[in-house]
This record gives sequence, C-alpha cells and structure tokens, in this order.
Amino acid sequence: MIKKIRASNLEKIIFTFIVILAIFFFGSFFLIKDKCLFIKSYDPQKINFDNPKNIAILNVTCGNVIIELYPEISPEAVKRFKELVRSKAYDDIAFHRVIKDTLVQAGDLEFGKKGNIDYGKIGTGKSGLGTINSEVDSPFSFDKGSVGFARTQKYNTEDSQFFIILRDEPLYETEYTPIGKVIYGLETLGTIKYLDKSQYVLRPDFINSLRMLVN
Amino acid sequence: MCKFMSLIRLIILSLFIFTQTQADTIYNLIKIPNLEIYDIKTPNKLRYLYAKQPFTLGVEKNINCYNSEKKILDQKYKIIKKNLNRYSQEFLKKINLKYIVLCEDLSISNINTAGIPDHVMKTLILDIKFNEDYFERVIHHEVFHIINDSFKQLFDEDVWSKFNVKEFEYAECSTCTDKLGLSTYIRTKGFFSEYSQSTASEDMAEVFSHLMIGVNLNNLDPILKRKIQFIKSNLLKIDQNFIL
Repeated sequence: MIKKIRASNLEKIIFTFIVILAIFFFGSFFLIKDKCLFIKSYDPQKINFDNPKNIAILNVTCGNVIIELYPEISPEAVKRFKELVRSKAYDDIAFHRVIKDTLVQAGDLEFGKKGNIDYGKIGTGKSGLGTINSEVDSPFSFDKGSVGFARTQKYNTEDSQFFIILRDEPLYETEYTPIGKVIYGLETLGTIKYLDKSQYVLRPDFINSLRMLVN
Repeated sequence: MCKFMSLIRLIILSLFIFTQTQADTIYNLIKIPNLEIYDIKTPNKLRYLYAKQPFTLGVEKNINCYNSEKKILDQKYKIIKKNLNRYSQEFLKKINLKYIVLCEDLSISNINTAGIPDHVMKTLILDIKFNEDYFERVIHHEVFHIINDSFKQLFDEDVWSKFNVKEFEYAECSTCTDKLGLSTYIRTKGFFSEYSQSTASEDMAEVFSHLMIGVNLNNLDPILKRKIQFIKSNLLKIDQNFIL
C-alpha cells in the first residue's frame, strides 16, 4: 500500500515562493521586452496647435515627441534647427548622451549617424554649417521638457546637437540656448536607452525622423 | 534551507549594488563636485552654491575646501550677498562671474586662501570663515581678480608697477613673500596694506577692495591717488555705469 506523503509547511512556503518568483520572472520578461507598452502615442494631425509653423515632430521607437519651437526667444538657434530638420539631417542620428530621468542629447551629425557611429569622437561632430552665437539673454525657465542647443565649454559654439531635459534644471538659464519645449510625448523620451555607469551610450537608440509639422 | 537563505540574501544585496549613477548638473557646469544650490533667485543673477561635502580640485588635487554648518553659512551668506549685490548683472556678465561657491577652510597646496577666482568657469570660490576683520573687503578683492583676469589688457602690470618708487620691486608671486598683512596703513606710502606689496595684481586688488568698502580717501599719498585713478578709469572702460 502506498503511503500518502503530505508536504510540510516549510515545503509549501518554498513551493509558493518559487511559483510567485516564476510568475514575476516570466511576467517581467515580457513586460520589459516591450518598453513602449505604457507609452501613449500622439498623432500631431489630431491635435490643434496655435502656431503650427513652429511645431516639430521627433519620432523615436516608442512614438512621437511634439516640440514647440520659440523663435521669438532664440531666433538664430530656431532658424538653424529648422534648417537641419528640413534637410532631414537628424534622421537616424543617435541619442548619444543620455542621463536617466535627467536629459537626452542627440544631433551629432558627423559621428552619430546610424551605421557610421564613431564612439571615440561622438559628441564632437559638426554639421558643416558652422557654429552660431549663444542666445542666452532672454529669460527662460528650463523646466522639464525644455529643448536647448548643446555647446562646448565656450559660448557661441552651438551647431547641431540639442538636448531635452527630463527634469527641471534652473541652472541652465543663461547657460544654454533654449529652442523650445516638448508639449506632448515627453514620457516617450524616458524609454531612450541609457547606461548606468556612463552618460555616453554604447549601441544607442536613434531618432527615426524629425520633421516640421508644416514645411 | 541554508542555500535558500543565501539566495534571498543575494537578491537583496543585488538591489543595493546595481544602483543608478546620479547626474550632477552643477559639476557638469563648473567642474566642482559636491555642491548644492544655496540661492539662485538673486537680483544680479549670481548663483550661490554651497559645499554639501568637502571637495578637492585641481590636476594635482591640491585645492581643498570643506562644508560648513548651516548656521554659519546663513550668517555669512547675508554679508556676501550684501556686498556682491553691488555689482550689476551687466557688469558681472562682462567680467564673466556667475557662480559663487561657499565653503570653509579653503586652501591651495595647504596654504589657506580667502578665495579662488576662475573667470573661465565663471566661478569664485569663497572661504566663508576667512579672517573676520577683513571679510567684506576680501570679497571685493577676489572679485577684482576676476575683473583683472577677464581684462588683462586694461590692467597692465608694467604700467602699474611704474606708479611705485623706482627702488620698489614686487615679489614673483603672492605666496613667495612674507608680506601678508591685511590691515590698512594709517599713513600710506603707495600701498594700502602690507599685502599690497606682494604682487602688482594683489596691489590692484587691494586698491579696488579698499575703494569698494569706502576707505577714507583724504590724506592719501600721490602714488596711491594715481593708482586709484588708474583703477577707476579702467573700470569705467569695462562698464560706464560702474559706481565705486
């Protein structure tokens, strides 16, 4: 006669723990794999804008980031940005510098192009259009979502690289040239690849496209 | 059971090990670590930062400064702000000064110093515990070094040196001499203080700082009068609205 063996309480606890662990493991595996799962996608065609001529659409893997440009604050910088957007120069350009919950930076047209990335020089590339003067005198509040032109340690070295901040950065006022603000889809930028130990990203995410709403 | 507990311990430990690197905006801007914002809503847009922890700077790590108690910081900030508020936003922009770092026991190569100006990084580090007797004057003294560094061509040391009597010679550097006294001479002979006699730039800074704190200009010797005129006229070349 076969004796029925009953599991002890400890064995039941361990078994339950293993089952819970397995659920979390497989559950998170599928959730983490789809980093865009909880990201809302915005269709600019379905939104009414006050000034559609100053709306730029940055498309990344998880959707659209809609940026309003401020030519009245930084006329030269916005002019340069629009020029590069219209020439599709930002397409397939890496988000080479990303700090989690702080900022994403892209726009190195020389060393950040998909398929032709130079990790040794990324962040130092030029557009070929020359540098422009910093426009830092107008009051501007660098709140979460602000878009600015990156520069070297010196002023008047803005070219094509831009950053978008993911948190308020009051010290950026008078330091960096503002070009606009993200008005929809900022959460999309939270999905851009970053590294824990470095601001510069190995095998980075790329801009799919960057277009003006009205050409 | 023992292995099971080890596994749990490993999982908990890993949560602490794999933490994120934090972004330090202030470090990215002025390359000084361990600082926090003290006050940035100021009339002339100066940004006051304070040492949250001690920091070390320089290629040879020879610049050190330490964090202060909040009570002292609050006390000294009022004095510093009152003095620095005398400089307009326009003037500060011209001389390239934007960040004031507050800390204590500031030293370079173990030699205590009141301040370290760096016009390239737009920063002035101030030792808030520096000599109480001359604290306010020293603030302006350090500001002058920023002015001087930004406008070297205006404050020509050879021109300045010629104001002195022929026999006089400055030391090669401010720490290459034992002329360190900061008290103001009652009877001046071309210099406001002993420290004025260390180098030409320290002499200029002493003249400027004495002017800023409103020293009695009566009974000054002719050499000092010429030096004052030199400083005043050059300041007006930088900013026509500058008021001493």
